[in-house]
Amino acid sequence: MAQLYTETREDVYRYLLTLGVHPPKAQEAVQEVFLRLYTSLKKGEKIESLRGWVFRVAHNYGLKVRARQSSEEKFDPAFETRLMSPSANAERDLLDREKMSRLNTAVEGLSEQQKRVLFLRMEGLRYPEIASTLGISASAVGEFLRRALLRLKKVRDE
Amino acid sequence: MNSIFERHPEQDLVRYLDGELSTRRSRQVASHLENCGRCRAELEEFQVAVADCANYRNVLVAQTPEAPAPWRDLYRDFSRIDEALANNSLLVRLMRPLVHSGVPRWAFLAGLAVLIVLLSLNQLRQAPSVQAATLLRKAVAVSQSQPHPARRIRVRSSRQPEFTRMSGAQAAILEVAQAQAVAAMFQRANWDWNDPLSARAFDQWRDRQVHKTDEVTAVKDPAEPSEHLTQIRTTSPDGEVEAASITLNTDDYEAVSERLEFRDQEWVELSEIAGTSTESAGGTGVSSVEAPVRAAEPPSRPAAFTPGSSASISDEIQVLSALSEIGADLGDPVNVELAGGKVKVTGPAEIPAHRQEEIRASVASLPYVEVAFTSLPPAQAPSVASTVSASSVSAVNSPLETRLEKHLGGHAALERFSNELLDLDDAAMQRVYALHRLAQKFSPAEEASLSPKDRAALHELSRKHTAVLASKLDGMGSILNPALSALGGTAASVPTASQTGWQPAANDLVRSASDLDKLISQMLAMTPGNPSPSDLMTAWGELRANLDRCRQALK
Repeated sequence: MAQLYTETREDVYRYLLTLGVHPPKAQEAVQEVFLRLYTSLKKGEKIESLRGWVFRVAHNYGLKVRARQSSEEKFDPAFETRLMSPSANAERDLLDREKMSRLNTAVEGLSEQQKRVLFLRMEGLRYPEIASTLGISASAVGEFLRRALLRLKKVRDE
Repeated sequence: MNSIFERHPEQDLVRYLDGELSTRRSRQVASHLENCGRCRAELEEFQVAVADCANYRNVLVAQTPEAPAPWRDLYRDFSRIDEALANNSLLVRLMRPLVHSGVPRWAFLAGLAVLIVLLSLNQLRQAPSVQAATLLRKAVAVSQSQPHPARRIRVRSSRQPEFTRMSGAQAAILEVAQAQAVAAMFQRANWDWNDPLSARAFDQWRDRQVHKTDEVTAVKDPAEPSEHLTQIRTTSPDGEVEAASITLNTDDYEAVSERLEFRDQEWVELSEIAGTSTESAGGTGVSSVEAPVRAAEPPSRPAAFTPGSSASISDEIQVLSALSEIGADLGDPVNVELAGGKVKVTGPAEIPAHRQEEIRASVASLPYVEVAFTSLPPAQAPSVASTVSASSVSAVNSPLETRLEKHLGGHAALERFSNELLDLDDAAMQRVYALHRLAQKFSPAEEASLSPKDRAALHELSRKHTAVLASKLDGMGSILNPALSALGGTAASVPTASQTGWQPAANDLVRSASDLDKLISQMLAMTPGNPSPSDLMTAWGELRANLDRCRQALK
């Protein structure tokens, strides 16, 4: 449990940022999700994939938090500017940086659902886990992912 | 079939790459790829895209703005959760259903803070949400600790003409076509259609509601206007169901009717058809008037000494004793039945895995035992709650509680008094129900056919319960009686019943224990009512007398 928390918290936190949740709220949410996980396990709930569970609960929580911050702006992690900032990428060669930046633009251009599926897939979740997180079918996950990768492939070919 | 002529599996390439295809489909795609350069090339491109994504993720990981605060060490919070789950302070007891419903910790603490404010206003237990949660917790516990009867339920709705159906797991098999529209409504609400009219199903739904408002009211029984029923009505701004209400029998917490109102103006009403319950709870119900679903396979008991390869009552008693050793006859919803030459131990799959293991292990060495935990339709994972229910505070009051508080010398003393009393009461009720189940399983006639050894084992099992019950009851008496007599209470004398064996005595025990339990709830203002000190003392005396009768018969 402690290990899962240490290993996963940053990933869940990052995922919540990509959902547009502001950093303090995202961090609070992550901690809350783990407390909930602990309570559920204590109560004897059987959870097959802990990582999948954490992302699913975090996703629902994140959307709720985001809905409540609707008056404010959606948080933008501004990966683009970070990627292009030379100080942060001193060791990274220009070509690589440009490639990543293009990829970033392409990811930004994906539909909301495609983006979510892609991010969750990048976090190592299996299709059924992604499906239950987003409330869609596993075959829909496959289709969203395929389209997302097609878009990214096209950008690369350009 | 030659895969070259097959349609190109472009749709499935990503799934193939991710290992998410069925084995069969995966083999088909693999053999297609062997022969199709175009698809191989496409697959390679996807592979590159996936690798790019992995790189991209690594960059993001490096570039993610750091969390604004250091990560909290959750260990301390974990032990607080442990404490909260284990702690038996009245406050926590009453709030426990909220903790379990997945209310986040901060909301729980906020709720606690609200409650403390209420406490200082001396209105603690009147918050309807707490009252509702407590009532439901009791009702669920009672229904799980008693044999679950099949009941006939009348269903009225905005969709269908009225019809009736049986409750219970077998009901689904007998499902009539006309019920389907209503069944669909229940499914939509994620409400257990196999056992729709139950505190458990209602409680599960209520638990999932984030912003709920509860009302608890006493209503008149339409069938018997002198009897009072307790109604819980919960409204929720989210989800399919806008409001649901359940009416519980004030005596035994049995659900007698229920109404679901959907957001789209549809509604369903369920009500128990009186007199169809196959078991009377605490002797207050009416015996069965028609064959219930459960009777479909009447367990014809083999004689006690049946030789050969099938289970006998002896084996059943052994199983019961083994389960009793691990306390599985106290509150675990486990059923033991002699059927088809086996001793069948059954229970819902919701029993925690480690407990299922303990139960299996306890009977593993016994012959002809079959253990099965079957799952009920899965409840939807609760969404993360974000606020504690905001309930208005109604000023239901128990004059007796106020007097007690004064007598005991303040709120803290009252709380200690309540805690101790409720703990003992819970423990006593568990024993009462365990004993009652044994009495129902082994009627006097049945007991007469047992071998001396089996009869001795059965009595031993029963005596264990009565001994614990006696100590709990005496504990309750030593807390209750001095305080109540100081408030002017006296115990009315109890008429002595004629000696008729321990089974009838156990039935009387359930009735008198439920009476006392109800009066205690009323005294502590957990359910509406206004008992006098004498009522409580008399109820305690009657229960004690019934217990003595039962113990005498078991000697």
